[in-house]
Amino acid sequence: MSTEAIPRARTDAPRRVAAGTRRVSDESRPALGFLAPFVLLYLLFVIGPALYGLLMSFFHTSLVKPGLNGFAGLSNYSEALRSADFWSSLWHTLWFTILTTPPLVVLALGFALLADRVGFGRWFFRFAFFAPYILPSAVVALIWIWLYTPGLGLLDTALGKVGLTAPNWLGSENFAMISLAITTVWWTLGFNFVLYLAGLQDIPRELYEAAAIDGATPWQQIRTITVPLLGRTTTLVAVLQVIASLKVFDQMYLITLGGPNFKTRSILQLVYDEGFTNFRTGYAAAISMLFFVVVLAVSAGWFMLVRRQEREV
Amino acid sequence: MRGEPGSVRSAGGSAISRRSLLRGAVAAGVGIGAASLTGCSVPVLNGLTASREEPGTVQFWNLFGGGDGVRMQQMLDGYRRSHPAVTLVATTLTWGNPYYTKLSLATVGDKPPDVAVAHLTRMRNLVAGGLLQELRPDDLDRFGLTRDKFNPQTWDAGLVDGKVYAIPIDTHPFVMFYNTEICQKAGLMDGDKIRPITSEAAFADAMRKAKAVTGGYGGVVAVINENATPWRIFQSLYAQLGGKMLADEGREVVVDDAKASQVLNLLQGLTKDGTFPRTADYQGSIATFANGQAGFLFQGEWEITTFQTAKMPFSMAPFPNVYGGSNYACQADSHTLVLPRRPGADPAQLDRSLGFIRSMLDQSKTWAEGGHVPSWLPFRDSDEYKQMTPQSYYAAAADAAVYDPDGWYSGSGSGFEIVTGAAIGSVLSGQSTPATALRQIRTKLGNLAATATPI
Amino acid sequence: MASATLAPARAGAAGVTPAQLDWRTSLFNRICVGVLIACALLWLVPLAWAADTALKPNAETTKSTWLISNPTFSAFTNALRDTDMLKWYGASFITSALAAAFTVVTASLAAYALSRMRFRFKNWVFWFILAGIMIPGQVLIVPQFREFGSVHLLNTFYAVFLPQVPTAVAVFVFKQFFDGLPKDLDEAARIDGASSLRIYRQVIMPLSRPAVAAVTIFIFVTSWNNLLWPLLVLTNPDLMTIPVGLATVQGAFGIRYADTMATAILGALPLIAVFLLFQRNIVEGIAGTGLKG
Repeated sequence: MSTEAIPRARTDAPRRVAAGTRRVSDESRPALGFLAPFVLLYLLFVIGPALYGLLMSFFHTSLVKPGLNGFAGLSNYSEALRSADFWSSLWHTLWFTILTTPPLVVLALGFALLADRVGFGRWFFRFAFFAPYILPSAVVALIWIWLYTPGLGLLDTALGKVGLTAPNWLGSENFAMISLAITTVWWTLGFNFVLYLAGLQDIPRELYEAAAIDGATPWQQIRTITVPLLGRTTTLVAVLQVIASLKVFDQMYLITLGGPNFKTRSILQLVYDEGFTNFRTGYAAAISMLFFVVVLAVSAGWFMLVRRQEREV
Repeated sequence: MRGEPGSVRSAGGSAISRRSLLRGAVAAGVGIGAASLTGCSVPVLNGLTASREEPGTVQFWNLFGGGDGVRMQQMLDGYRRSHPAVTLVATTLTWGNPYYTKLSLATVGDKPPDVAVAHLTRMRNLVAGGLLQELRPDDLDRFGLTRDKFNPQTWDAGLVDGKVYAIPIDTHPFVMFYNTEICQKAGLMDGDKIRPITSEAAFADAMRKAKAVTGGYGGVVAVINENATPWRIFQSLYAQLGGKMLADEGREVVVDDAKASQVLNLLQGLTKDGTFPRTADYQGSIATFANGQAGFLFQGEWEITTFQTAKMPFSMAPFPNVYGGSNYACQADSHTLVLPRRPGADPAQLDRSLGFIRSMLDQSKTWAEGGHVPSWLPFRDSDEYKQMTPQSYYAAAADAAVYDPDGWYSGSGSGFEIVTGAAIGSVLSGQSTPATALRQIRTKLGNLAATATPI
Repeated sequence: MASATLAPARAGAAGVTPAQLDWRTSLFNRICVGVLIACALLWLVPLAWAADTALKPNAETTKSTWLISNPTFSAFTNALRDTDMLKWYGASFITSALAAAFTVVTASLAAYALSRMRFRFKNWVFWFILAGIMIPGQVLIVPQFREFGSVHLLNTFYAVFLPQVPTAVAVFVFKQFFDGLPKDLDEAARIDGASSLRIYRQVIMPLSRPAVAAVTIFIFVTSWNNLLWPLLVLTNPDLMTIPVGLATVQGAFGIRYADTMATAILGALPLIAVFLLFQRNIVEGIAGTGLKG
């Protein structure tokens, strides 16, 4: 077979090109077959619901009533935009993003730099920082509720031994979000850590060696070589982080239930409360649409940032 | 040769180790799958077949944790002993909104439990949402569940348009626990019971006397990380003054600022001068009272088991009649058992569910031992109950019960309670003033009241 | 080269000797190691404390020491007895495995079409699927709930894993990988008369193990840890996945902290085991797709 194939390939080369161009005309039928399973599920479970959600937002749809219920026009949207709950939830989500994104980017980079420099024990450090990331949020919540328990929790007693009074981790209206931010940083830092480690390994060692020979201190090397070359990774990490923070739900629902006094309720939790606890699915759909606009705006911002970066490079 | 050029081999070098990893994964997966399947055989596969559970079962959901949970387990075991042919599957879910959201979602999803616990104040909204089955008189008669056997107030409070949707099992009022030794030393006792407190001055005085004895606090009430308790202590006092919160089925907010401020000032005064701790959460308040660091605890009667187990010298009394005079009032709610609506009528299932409910009522003694005031008259009017102390001391409070106001957003653990409880709690913990709290309550309740009901 | 000969002169010009540089570097390195180890240990504390608590009897948990006077597994047996943990394991495994399997198959098929086949509406389809990345799943929970409710598929595993299958990212991971495979493999197989399906099955897929591994692990872990959607859809305690089960009975243990921690540890075990087995694949998958995405 092989002995026949090779000469055929050689003599057929020019003809093969011609045959190829003829075959290029249209593979629509089989392509449809390949695309069908995915596109079908995609239409059923992504595009379809998106359109239906948009439709629902214009009606007074209720969880316990069939059909679309009464026509609401834009009243769901105007109610949301005028509602203090909506804006405060949006603000809480924003505040959460501000609290978590810088530590998750800077600390991850810092640890990655250290781990890269250290060279040994890679397995241990990777496990220590990344293991929390694979835990389900419910497990993280149980562990941290126990850590934050007033009086009995490890954090209260540890601070007490050092002579400090612990803040009211989950009961203080002002501090509760900070506690959630601390938990989130512990939980998700590993992902960014791994991304940065990979990015660091892409930087050629010769750059460091050349700089060392030129008399640059390690700190200078980091500043002038590492950080600029990680620019692309940092942008990626930051944007992924921001978008993930906008979608936060689990921590709030499990640890504080949006409290105390709704001060940690994120925008998605508002959707859940309005849609499934208060039965107002039409209104919840409207809030979802507004949330979608916010996410789009952030993604568009990233797109332009990346475009500009690539142009500079 | 067979169309597989050499590049496959070179790329496949690591494929071998990956293959062994995959093999390991499959083995692990099979192991997990086998373990789970042997642990629970068929039910898990229902997820793929979308079929009903096995026949001859009763699925029961409740929200009883802690001491209540222990009592409920005893009663459930009692049912299992008396009905060996039926498989009882009981699930305990988190108290409050999550419980009712799950119950609603399950009913909408056509897979609700057979019987569920529901607070009386939430039951109406479930009925309005079409989520509960009506309980017909002839079915109820077969199991002896007739009006004359129940506390008439509780029974009537549960009627919607004259129809029965819920069977009450108890009323649980907000009460006062007191440490008998501390009160003895403080000179507050009248024989083996506490002398009734009937005025604001007497109330504050009693608390301060208790503080002098304990050297810690006079009384304690949960104020942080907690919404229900601050609402309840406020409502008990506010209702004694005759104040109301909502009208017209929740469409109107009618908070009386003067009366509300009076109550908030009284309560804030006690935490401000250290008679009550400012930072007690639910469990902390229990511990403070159990350790004798406070002479009084204000909480629902269900904590009686905790203190009996701790073997401390305590007794219970109705919440003090500080403002009520002859119109005593205290905050309370009732637990009821309901049957969620499900597709298709199954008379055998209905009988099993009603039989389960009857069994729970027959075990009212166990439930009353957990502190609740039974609605089941055959037990409540018996000598046995009258001899239960301290339960019988506060049984009368059930008749003076003030339920949370009507409204689609109201009821135990609801948005109404979260709004009011959070505001009141922040006043008690010193984080805000009565005026600010009342403003917040008015605004937030106003928003809820103005929203059209979704049911 | 030139810099090497210049080096001594340079260093001297800066006023720093090579020996001083070495000393500074090694001190810096030692500080780095110390800080890193300290931080890593700090990161391990919560999990370690949870395990420590779980091995104590409930009464002992109120004493805040690492020392366990009466180590016992009773918390774990309580957790297994009072929750449906094994059922949750089964549900999580079935839904996650099905999600991963369906995603790999459908996404790779679609990616093959986009990468290897030529057809008129290719660009349209490409952008159509790309648009999907923009739509966060959370925006769809309300209409998806109504959708499944209307066909009476709530409280089934189908409701749990089907919405997770059409993940645009998976298509792009596969497409990117396929684009990197040399086209003459296809051509050679076509000459032998193979159909597109055959090429896909026997040429492309066997070479795509890294992409398959990355997508499988990503979808498996994401599905396993998904909370919001299964929380809405699974209200039958027999069918709950681990996160939903844990969230639902949260607080039911009251002050039995050891039992609560044991429940948490049991809930974490399966994925920790997966992580220990597949650490390299997981990390490579994240790094690869992350950087490219």
